[in-house]
Amino acid sequence: MKRASWVEVRGWSLTSPYLIFTLIFFVLPLIWGIALLFIRWNLISPTREFVGLGNFIEAIRSVRVHAAFINTYKIMGIFIPTVLVASLSIALLIHSIPRFKGIIAVCFFLPYLVSGVASSLVVKGILAYNSPLSPLFRALFHDIPDWFGNPFLAVMVICLMITWKLSGYYALIFLSGLSSIPKTLYEAADLDGAGYWTKLFKVTIPMLYPAFYTVLILAVGLTFGIFTEPYMLTGGGPELATQTWYLEIYYQAFSAGRAGYASTVAFINAVVTFFSIIVVRKIMEGWGKAHGWK
Amino acid sequence: MVGSKTWMNSFKYVLVFIGISIAVFPYAYMVLQSLAPWSQVDRNIIPTTFTLKSYHWLFYGSPIVRAKPWGRALLNSTVVSVSDTILMVLGAAIVGYALSKLRFRGREFIYNFILFQMFYPAIILLVPTFLIVKYMGMFDTYWGMIIPKAMSIWAIFMYTSFFQSLPQEVIDSARVDGASELRIIFRIALPMSRSITTVVALFLFMSRWEELLWDMMVVRNDTLRTLNVMIATMKGPYSVYPGPMYAASVLLTLPVLIVFLVFSKEFAKGIKLVFK
Repeated sequence: MKRASWVEVRGWSLTSPYLIFTLIFFVLPLIWGIALLFIRWNLISPTREFVGLGNFIEAIRSVRVHAAFINTYKIMGIFIPTVLVASLSIALLIHSIPRFKGIIAVCFFLPYLVSGVASSLVVKGILAYNSPLSPLFRALFHDIPDWFGNPFLAVMVICLMITWKLSGYYALIFLSGLSSIPKTLYEAADLDGAGYWTKLFKVTIPMLYPAFYTVLILAVGLTFGIFTEPYMLTGGGPELATQTWYLEIYYQAFSAGRAGYASTVAFINAVVTFFSIIVVRKIMEGWGKAHGWK
Repeated sequence: MVGSKTWMNSFKYVLVFIGISIAVFPYAYMVLQSLAPWSQVDRNIIPTTFTLKSYHWLFYGSPIVRAKPWGRALLNSTVVSVSDTILMVLGAAIVGYALSKLRFRGREFIYNFILFQMFYPAIILLVPTFLIVKYMGMFDTYWGMIIPKAMSIWAIFMYTSFFQSLPQEVIDSARVDGASELRIIFRIALPMSRSITTVVALFLFMSRWEELLWDMMVVRNDTLRTLNVMIATMKGPYSVYPGPMYAASVLLTLPVLIVFLVFSKEFAKGIKLVFK
């Protein structure tokens, strides 16, 4: 009995930093956040007006929220296949070379260290009308494209920026997956006379299921939180083509000063993120089951 | 056959070279443009001459434009990121140890709550957390940036699962010797998990260093802004001077790069444990 209470005291006192922090910065805002959903309030004024579901109705009707909703899937549609191909290629390449694997993997990881603020400045510079790369763009597209004036190009630029940033990081996840695939599987495939691509699609990719799962969940979650790049480069434009959830939440809360409405948009974003991740997980688990993972 | 294999390998290293060139191009571009004469910024990839004018302008301004506190911004970024990283690692190690090595009542509940928090979208908490920080009088202070980001659920989760593999006998024998739990954590558990600590601390440091949204919200005062926020909020006279902006980006990127390179060996070792 004495021993048991010793463990209780130690356990609760050692976890107390977490408990106190969670109470103040998780439970309290959680409750407050729910209250905010139903009021209209500008962060400063002493009067808070109860509007019932008014914030929800406004958000669901808002073109800005629609744009954020659709753009997130648009960005995902471009970013996820691109980053999967890029990071898997990097991982396969590093895995197959005989020497300097570690240092090369570290080099590919370097983009992850660059803040979105700094990379946005560089992208702004190299896409400027007279930039040193403009002869290249002129040769490729006959003219300098209006990168941030064209909705499609603006989305592409942002997708490529985050692909650049994350490919090396995701490649590390694929690399550790690759190193855990038993060699005997490839020997068996060789005996069956399988070629490179057959082995890739029938052995490597199915065996990488856990890595794919991790990368996809990370990438989907990240897409719902895009903020820095559009904030720096487009402000959500042109014509809301690069509008994102976080831009809208930030704009409503701190430029328009609408705490209740911003919280409502955040709440809708969280619900949408939650269900999207569940859908991705279900799809992935179905794919995994088909290949013998549980 | 041997010939085709060496040929294949050289081809692979060419691909590696191209890939790494793309990966590090923005680094090179940033550095070169920050050293370029202003007439050549964003005109030549490699400037014909080099000058420190952009850096000088950043810190001393010019007769028409007064310098912003860039040195202070770098210091702010460092203070905020370093203190948060230390707090997050210490907190996570202590809590992770308790959750993995002490079988107290309520442990299961706390652990499940942590899992719930990990998948709970933090964005819903953004506005109310801001209000709490404001009511606690931490708006426009270092505390406002440091305290709300001082605990990482992900780090707690990492340490909880990693400490599970620490041999119980080592801990038991330390207890027999009369070591306190905190002493066990800092003298035994943490030193035995150096690689994992490196990875956790580096990821925490990097993401804290480039935090934009929160730091932009809680701090209005120029002298408290982090470097990341300072660059992001540069409007007006600064936007027509791209050279100094590149210099500021170099200041922003270099510390993270140095910290990462110093620990890259340990990082490479630890990352395998994290994603295994």
